[in-house]
Amino acid sequence: MTGKFYATHAALIGIILAISGFITWSAVDARASLDNLVVVAPVASVIALLAVILVAVTLLKPAPTPAEGEAGEAQAKDPGIWGDMLMLAGFGVFCYALTKVGFDLATFLFVWAGVVMSGGKGWWQPPLYAAIFTAALVYGFGSLFPYPMLTLVL
Amino acid sequence: MIDQFALSQALDLLFSSFTPWLWVIPGLLIGLVFGSIPGLQISMAMAVFLPVTFSMDFLQAMLFLTSIFTGGAYGGGVTAILMNIPGSSSSIATAFDGYPMARQGKHNEALGLGLAASVVGAFVGYILLMLLIQPLAAFVLKIGPLEMVVVVLWGLTLIATLNDSSMAKGLLAGFFGLMLSQIGMSTTGVMRTSVGMPYLIDGLPVVPAMIGIFAAAELLRLRGETYLVQNEAQRDISFGRILKGAGETFKYPGVLIRGSLLGAVIGAIPGVGSSVANLVSYGEAKRTSKTPERFGKGAPEGVVAAESANSSSEGGSMTALLALGIPGGAATAVLLAAFSFHNIIGGPSFIRNQTDVVYSIILGNLGQVLLLAVLGLLSLRLLGLVVRVPLSYLVPSVLAMCAWGGYGITGTIAGPLTVAGFAALGWLMRRNNYPVAATVIGLLLGRMMEGELVRTMQISGGNPLRYMLERPIALVLFIIMLLVLVGAPALKALKRRRQARAEV
Repeated sequence: MTGKFYATHAALIGIILAISGFITWSAVDARASLDNLVVVAPVASVIALLAVILVAVTLLKPAPTPAEGEAGEAQAKDPGIWGDMLMLAGFGVFCYALTKVGFDLATFLFVWAGVVMSGGKGWWQPPLYAAIFTAALVYGFGSLFPYPMLTLVL
Repeated sequence: MIDQFALSQALDLLFSSFTPWLWVIPGLLIGLVFGSIPGLQISMAMAVFLPVTFSMDFLQAMLFLTSIFTGGAYGGGVTAILMNIPGSSSSIATAFDGYPMARQGKHNEALGLGLAASVVGAFVGYILLMLLIQPLAAFVLKIGPLEMVVVVLWGLTLIATLNDSSMAKGLLAGFFGLMLSQIGMSTTGVMRTSVGMPYLIDGLPVVPAMIGIFAAAELLRLRGETYLVQNEAQRDISFGRILKGAGETFKYPGVLIRGSLLGAVIGAIPGVGSSVANLVSYGEAKRTSKTPERFGKGAPEGVVAAESANSSSEGGSMTALLALGIPGGAATAVLLAAFSFHNIIGGPSFIRNQTDVVYSIILGNLGQVLLLAVLGLLSLRLLGLVVRVPLSYLVPSVLAMCAWGGYGITGTIAGPLTVAGFAALGWLMRRNNYPVAATVIGLLLGRMMEGELVRTMQISGGNPLRYMLERPIALVLFIIMLLVLVGAPALKALKRRRQARAEV
């Protein structure tokens, strides 16, 4: 076993297996009949088989050449990964906050923070842009929604 | 095939006054805007503007609503090309090659290719509708669940071809999408998990999932860069290069015609339509190409195949509406509402008694397609400016719009949360070279597949293979699919082996 199994790959396969397992269990628990499992059962079996194949292929792969090894290490230690994860977490919080604190406030704060995190320069440009963008979204995009939309300020 | 008298009456209806055309340009613009903003759907635009048509006469209302439909179908492709955000499920395959072209600084050419393919596709779709509306209606009536299973299966086969480096990764991604489509109540009414969210009883909302996995994940990847197109010299929006791209479309006549025909036929099948048409057409273009390895890396044929199919499917989807009074999707359901408001019932009697009106709707749509070519060219200069926006501002702005779009589709917190969840999944998948499109295809087609499979099993008494022998259309489709998927590659391999032997 010479191949490397990176943490993000392991996490992805783990998530796929966990979610697939849960959906399969829930479907079988609801009703174990052909009409209910016609897609779930074969798909679950194929997913399990493919996951085993992928893990085995990765672990049994011949040792990477020095250049490949360095590229792989660089990807694994990519400093941008933490920035991406922070942005993802921020995006998740923003999505959750839309209907909690108001679409306007959540959008303003997210866009401001996002511009700064993505390298936007200046201390006044990012909040000014975020305010204008939020107003445009609320009065433009939001006015087309056929649903009520919670706002705090606008 | 064409009733000459009705045709002359239709021309008179359309061109004796300017009134029917009055709302076509506004309609195309509304469609372009709604289609190009993630989360705003064409059907939503048509529903929002439906009350406006109450004061119009029937033909004017039809041309206005169908112009929104036409503009929206193209608008979805623009964001797919420029930002890897398919405006709707019918533009998924456009992003496969359109976005890589844009990243290489060929955004002008890609937009031109998309526009020309859309115009030709829509044109072919409506011409076929005009010539073949009655035989097509008869064909639609013969489509049952088994035929739908075969068509959906054909769409699903694209999954296997999406990842050149590892087929196992492509398959795992696709099958995971199929598994995710099983969340919520089954098509037979069995309550499976809704992950504790009552909003998910009907399953995961596909469009927010698609926005999250495509757009949000890609935007995060762009975070460290400065502009969508790195080379400053290539950031221009050039009318000449857009036209050059449009001209390039005709270098691929086979792909263009095949895509348009596939789109029209698949589009005519109620409930399947453009979502599957663009995938099947892209898959066929890749399979039959002499250089399939270029696909997914900015092959112009990929854009042509996807856009011609999704645009021609619009003509196909009108078949069931006009000839049978059956809406094939959400957009045609809004058109049906406009029909009923004007006391018109689609179906055989409508075609028989009001042939002139049917022809004028079809001819009006052909006119719209030509107007789209002009309007599309003019609006592309504006829409293409996105490549000049610094990514530090573009990334958070579009991310915010993605979340808003998720809310706009579901009207609940489930939409934005689905976008966020799939953004994380997409980010993980892209880091490990899994094709995110395969998951979206699985999610999109899984529920359709389940419903049709269950119906097929019930009708066939548990023996679908024997039942297939009684269904000539399904049998022919299945044989063609097998020939295309297994026969053609086997033949190619045999030829290659013979050639190699001859050389030795």
